[in-house]
Amino acid sequence: MWKFLPYVAKNLWRDRTRTFLTVSGAAVAMFVFTVVGAVQEGMASLNRGTQTERTLIVFQANRFCPGTSRLQEDYARTIAKLPGVQEAVPIKVFMNNCRASLDLVVFHGLPPKQLQKIRDLKLSAGDWPSFEKQRDAAVVGQSLANRRRLSAGQRFSIGEVTVTIAGVFTATNAAEESFVYTHLEFLQRTPGISSVGTVTQIEVLLAAGSDPMAMCRTIDEKFRGGPIRTDTRPKGVFQSRAVGDLADLIGFAQYLGYACVVLVLTLVGTTTLMAVQDRVREHAILQTLGFTWQCIFGLVMIESLIVSLTGGAVGIGAALAVLSWNGLAVGSEGVTIAFSTSPMLAFIGMTATSIVGLVAGVLPAWTAARAEIVESLRSL
Amino acid sequence: MPLVEIHGLTKEYEKGDQKIVPLKDVSLAIDKGDFVSLMGASGSGKSTLLNLIAGIDAPTAGTIHVAGTDITKLSRTQLADFRANHVGYIFQLYNLIPVLTAYENIELPLLLLPFSSAERQKRVEIVLEAVGLTDRSDHYPSQLSGGQEQRVGIARAIVADPAIVVADEPTGDLDAETSDQVLDLLQRLNAELGTTFLMVTHDLKAASIARRRLRLEKGVLLEPEPPKIAKAGKGA
Ligand SMILES: Nc1ncnc2c1ncn2[C@@H]1O[C@H](COP(=O)(O)OP(=O)(O)OP(=O)(O)O)[C@@H](O)[C@H]1O
Ligand SMILES: [Mg+2]
Repeated sequence: MWKFLPYVAKNLWRDRTRTFLTVSGAAVAMFVFTVVGAVQEGMASLNRGTQTERTLIVFQANRFCPGTSRLQEDYARTIAKLPGVQEAVPIKVFMNNCRASLDLVVFHGLPPKQLQKIRDLKLSAGDWPSFEKQRDAAVVGQSLANRRRLSAGQRFSIGEVTVTIAGVFTATNAAEESFVYTHLEFLQRTPGISSVGTVTQIEVLLAAGSDPMAMCRTIDEKFRGGPIRTDTRPKGVFQSRAVGDLADLIGFAQYLGYACVVLVLTLVGTTTLMAVQDRVREHAILQTLGFTWQCIFGLVMIESLIVSLTGGAVGIGAALAVLSWNGLAVGSEGVTIAFSTSPMLAFIGMTATSIVGLVAGVLPAWTAARAEIVESLRSL
Repeated sequence: MPLVEIHGLTKEYEKGDQKIVPLKDVSLAIDKGDFVSLMGASGSGKSTLLNLIAGIDAPTAGTIHVAGTDITKLSRTQLADFRANHVGYIFQLYNLIPVLTAYENIELPLLLLPFSSAERQKRVEIVLEAVGLTDRSDHYPSQLSGGQEQRVGIARAIVADPAIVVADEPTGDLDAETSDQVLDLLQRLNAELGTTFLMVTHDLKAASIARRRLRLEKGVLLEPEPPKIAKAGKGA
């Protein structure tokens, strides 16, 4: 069968305009499919971090946007003393855009020494000592660095905040890579933010074995009478609530992904059927020469598969390239969802296109294979 | 034993309440190495008979033995194998594959048979030489004249050395001179390679190169003259 590959290729080349249009259509659809898949993947990995289950977020009660939550910084010290708490880190959150955005830049200001205790970050450029030494130093995530073309040593501004990049980090959780970590004190003293003594949230890392839900109640109870009441939730719950509407949207986007696959199916199916109809006589000639119907069937299937796989490879490849180059992330209320590209995503995409190529080919291939020879020879 | 043996062959078409019977109880035997021409009015069933012998059409009744096999009993796949191994088909309108060169068109039937690529190359080169188109081997059908296309068609039909070559008005679309060249070629192949030919034609001159001439009239096969050694009997 494979020795007829040049013949199949030549037929595709003969109708190159049609082939090109179909391949482009399939590529565009698979591009969208991959982008949708990437954000789904990012969504799924949001709460997958190793410490998410034993991490709590303490927020001001009845506040949602990080811009409006203000807690006393010394709440962190109080919480740290509670039994079962391993670490309590005061965090000031500042971002360029509180609404849903594709280019969200989120600053987390926290005591520099505590950063490495609660985050699993690896520096791909720069070093930790220079981050800890310099007041306005920051480490930025790899995705953000890609998107904004940032590198160590550079200065970087969003609004009134200007930091010096001391390092670029990669994280196990893709969403982390859209963050900028800087010093708490620096962020608190930035003009326009001016919030000395207050923080946005406190991140609490529990010791192994403590019950997260019970601890949430304990903390909220502790500050019930305090100057500011708190609302404490496990980090996963907190993040899911923050991205709430976005999550619905992303969930819905999977139908867009399915629609893309169906689009490729109809596109490739139509083209292959047209190609077969154009070659009714040619297939009859082949059968007269002694090609079996199975062989004709196979040739049409291969043709369909080539078109589909080429489109898929181009679209998926382009999507992965664009996504990893741009490091896009969507975010809402300070929580980001990264577009995660992975070999798995490419594999799923290519598997989908193979299946689509085969399914799209069946009807045309069957039509071609079962056509009556004499009748087809008479047709023009 | 004849190469082709046909008994009680009938082909009917039903068109509504109308019944068309292009072939009615036809019997025929063709010897190996013979050159048979088949004439008859348009619509008399010549192509139908040819297609049945070539194994691309199925009869309503009767048997067709070719090289010892009753091809009316074969499955669709077996028939395809039968054609690949035993039948060469020359079309009136050449029917070359437009995306393939002359060389590739001729090689195509060999790809279905267990030949090594060296053997394929040797065979294609021999038949290209035989039809006088060695210098045109990498030309596409659209770059060839009608006569040249038909010679490629003939080369494709004989390259696998089939038991029988059927030709449906092979010169029907050619001018007189080209037509003569093609007929010469067929006659030479029959004489030199001993290939058995069955040729449908409307042209008396074309029919005259045959050693045996048949006529179909209203579905019935007639043999107007007793078989004679044609004037072109230079071969076997
Ligand atoms: N699929 C079909 N349905 C109905 N009738 C058919 C069909 N195919 C062929 N026929 C009829 O069978 C008869 C014989 O056709 P055939 O093609 O064998 O004629 P022919 O002798 O080759 O004619 P020509 O010299 O014009 O090529 C014709 O009357 C034709 O109309
Ligand atoms: Mg005819």
